Amino acid sequence: MPRSPTLSFDRGTLLLHPPPPGKAWIDYAVWDDRVERFRIPAMYYRPLVETLNAAGVTLVDNAREFGPLTLTPTVEMTPYPHQRAALNAWVAAGRMGVVVLPTGAGKTYLAQLAMQATRRSTLIVVPTLDLMHQWYAHLLAAFPDAPVGLLGGGSHDSTAILVATYDSAAIYAEALGNKYALLVFDECHHLPSEFTRVIAEYSLAPYRLGLTATPERSDGKHTVLQSLIGPEVYRTSAEALSGTVLATHQIVHLTVKLSQRERQRYDALIETRNQFLQQQGIRLGSLTGWQAFVKASARSRAGRSAMLAHREARAIAFGTAGKLRVLADLLAQHVGARTLVFTDDNAMVYRISREFLLPAITHKTAVKERHDILQRFRTGDYPVIVTSRVLNEGVDVPEASVAVVLSGTGSQREYVQRLGRILRRGEGKLALLYEVVAEATSEEQLSRRRQPERQTRPYPQMDLLAEEPLAAEGEAPCYRPTC
Amino acid sequence: MLPSDLLMQRYQGEEVVPRRLPLSTEHLGIASEIIALFRSALGGTRADLQTQLQVLEGEETDYRIKRGLAHLLESAFSTFEMQSPLDPVALRQRVFALSAQAVPGPYSSTATVTAVAEALSQELEQEISPDQIRDWLYADLPEQQILKGFEEPTSEALVERYNLSQAQGCLYRASHVVITAHRNDPGEYKLLFRYVKLFGLMAYIEGDADHGFTLTIDGPTSLFTPSTRYGLALAKLLPALLHVTRWSLYATLVPRRLTPYTPQVARFRLDAGCGLVTHYPPGKVHDSMLEQAFAERWAHTKTPWRLEREVDLIPIPGSVMVPDFRLVHPDGRSFLLEIVGYWRPEYLRKKFSQVRQAGRQDLILAISERLNLERAGVKTTDLPARVVWFKDRVLPKAVLEVLGE
Repeated sequence: MPRSPTLSFDRGTLLLHPPPPGKAWIDYAVWDDRVERFRIPAMYYRPLVETLNAAGVTLVDNAREFGPLTLTPTVEMTPYPHQRAALNAWVAAGRMGVVVLPTGAGKTYLAQLAMQATRRSTLIVVPTLDLMHQWYAHLLAAFPDAPVGLLGGGSHDSTAILVATYDSAAIYAEALGNKYALLVFDECHHLPSEFTRVIAEYSLAPYRLGLTATPERSDGKHTVLQSLIGPEVYRTSAEALSGTVLATHQIVHLTVKLSQRERQRYDALIETRNQFLQQQGIRLGSLTGWQAFVKASARSRAGRSAMLAHREARAIAFGTAGKLRVLADLLAQHVGARTLVFTDDNAMVYRISREFLLPAITHKTAVKERHDILQRFRTGDYPVIVTSRVLNEGVDVPEASVAVVLSGTGSQREYVQRLGRILRRGEGKLALLYEVVAEATSEEQLSRRRQPERQTRPYPQMDLLAEEPLAAEGEAPCYRPTC
Repeated sequence: MLPSDLLMQRYQGEEVVPRRLPLSTEHLGIASEIIALFRSALGGTRADLQTQLQVLEGEETDYRIKRGLAHLLESAFSTFEMQSPLDPVALRQRVFALSAQAVPGPYSSTATVTAVAEALSQELEQEISPDQIRDWLYADLPEQQILKGFEEPTSEALVERYNLSQAQGCLYRASHVVITAHRNDPGEYKLLFRYVKLFGLMAYIEGDADHGFTLTIDGPTSLFTPSTRYGLALAKLLPALLHVTRWSLYATLVPRRLTPYTPQVARFRLDAGCGLVTHYPPGKVHDSMLEQAFAERWAHTKTPWRLEREVDLIPIPGSVMVPDFRLVHPDGRSFLLEIVGYWRPEYLRKKFSQVRQAGRQDLILAISERLNLERAGVKTTDLPARVVWFKDRVLPKAVLEVLGE
């Protein structure tokens, strides 16, 4: 009697041997001469098994290592209407798809509902260590009897419910692929990058849920989410939920001018750079212009000086002492209010932390310590936290009522999510977001591109320092993605 | 190895050529200058070291070379440690908790740090200054760590390592490599395939021992779409390949589209004459004393049969078998010899299953009589090869008998 076709898992792929009768399955398979077997991308597990079942093939499935899971929630809340609608839409779509909700609309609870509705081993993938701990704490509270573990940030568990960072999940994609039936991608716009998409591609998981506030990516790769997770099954906006879930907020835009000395230095540096650009006939207004500058700067000493001048000028614009003076003032104005201070780079975070003696969180902060800092922030022991981009996405900091953004960058997604950080529900709370930028430097144009209808208010103290525009005419915004 | 931003490559058409530093006075001078800088930075912070390196970089256009050399010294030859008598996490908790009592700002900071320094001076019964508190506050940050150990390489070794790293860097964007291993004796294939397995790679093998082999190396999912997922593993394989005697390598690359001039597809070539120097330890000449003793005895045996070591590759589905020896007669006959000494039962079962899958008619197994094959689940009657039984040592005479001599 011939052996039954057997499906096995091999490092992110499936092997099917001996070949089943019929032809329908062959669309998914490729003959692999190296092992003399048919090989199939792990992602096609569900359609493949469905196809074989429909054809009446008896299949021995040695590939899957996931199974049912008993989930008894100890905390059950009445879901908001939008959470119920999103869950129904996802289930109706065959438990594969993306749900678009604004930050603060209860994505974690929606995922909990999806897990309860599916009851299978679940891998949750998150972009930051903070989110990892937030999910961990939530799942422990929701399912105290279920095995919940962490992958990343120093932990390497292998539990039926696992919370992992995108980086760690991508590194271990081959090993994780057959262990989870449900994948939850938090902030799923991170998934399509070349490095991380293997988490979805190397996985058998028949059920997939993507969660995000902003699925659109500037590189256009968000269309890939359709094949990696599923179609968009539900979407609602902050405006639609305003007043029901999200707190109302006000944005205050502050411009500071450079001090006399900073301004002289800035002008001199920009002059050095522009002279070189002029000689070379390079115009910085476009991506190719920037690339030409990078290339030219590696070729000659003058070019290298021009590039160093450009960097120092940017550092002055971003890290100007004036911003720190404004920060000191804002903190004094809001004494006792839960305040988050955002900066663009770690060096600035640590500078503020040292000078103001404020607790700092960056990607270098160990998981335990960041947990402790956030805990003390919640209790009010630490009213102010300074951080770089790590708190940008989805971290639950409900008590924050003031945010100060120093030197932000022009990416739309980041802006929305930074904003979302302080838009948590609070009792009659009016959240305030200050954006502090230096005036008339390239940086200000970044900010303008980001927020066309903002409420501008020159910072009164700073108006005394300088009264003319500072930068050369036609100062161009920086197009370098890492700025 | 180097991070992508320190790789220096240029294109000749679709061919990628990595930066290669000649062992010239100029470059050896730069290398020894940076080595000396590390030596003098012993005991200082990483931030100090980085500042000095920045000064050394200056406004010269070769700063990326210097940065690359420094990166290799920092990652492969240095050890860093934290320097603070206090646990920085606990110190921060204490300082920030006190600081939260006041309106945050530069003025209250000075008062806070002074108060903590005074309290700690009393508790620890030693003088602690406010400046020390500020220094120790983030002693656990990488840039505040102290350079504790430095295994100083020669400037030649550093430049060689740099050149190897630049070549490895070309493979980061490789979708697969094709290695042509020419007729080799000894082949030194075992070490190479040990690394292929270790790094989760797969090989497709074509050819024979008389002409050489073509090995196509990539990973399981390469079958569906070429990707750079295995590029890093292929880069790590290169130092192992350098132990093989005669080979050439051809890599297909997917370049990052940095400029409109970067080609869509690119190639990278290398061969045994490339002059790159490996830092992986060489494999053992023989796997066991049994094999070594047999090779020595063969050298003293009068016979036209010539003994070659590790020259043949037998592809079996999902793996490869590298027989210990090959015996070649001047009239063209040849046999493969594999010595099976003492091993665990699982190993034996796998070995005999491999031999069966190999389907070769020219395989001789020398098997120890001490092995309990029955218990290992191997029937001695249906062994798929000619067998020479041995007690303590494998004798050339017994092998020649099987060959019909």
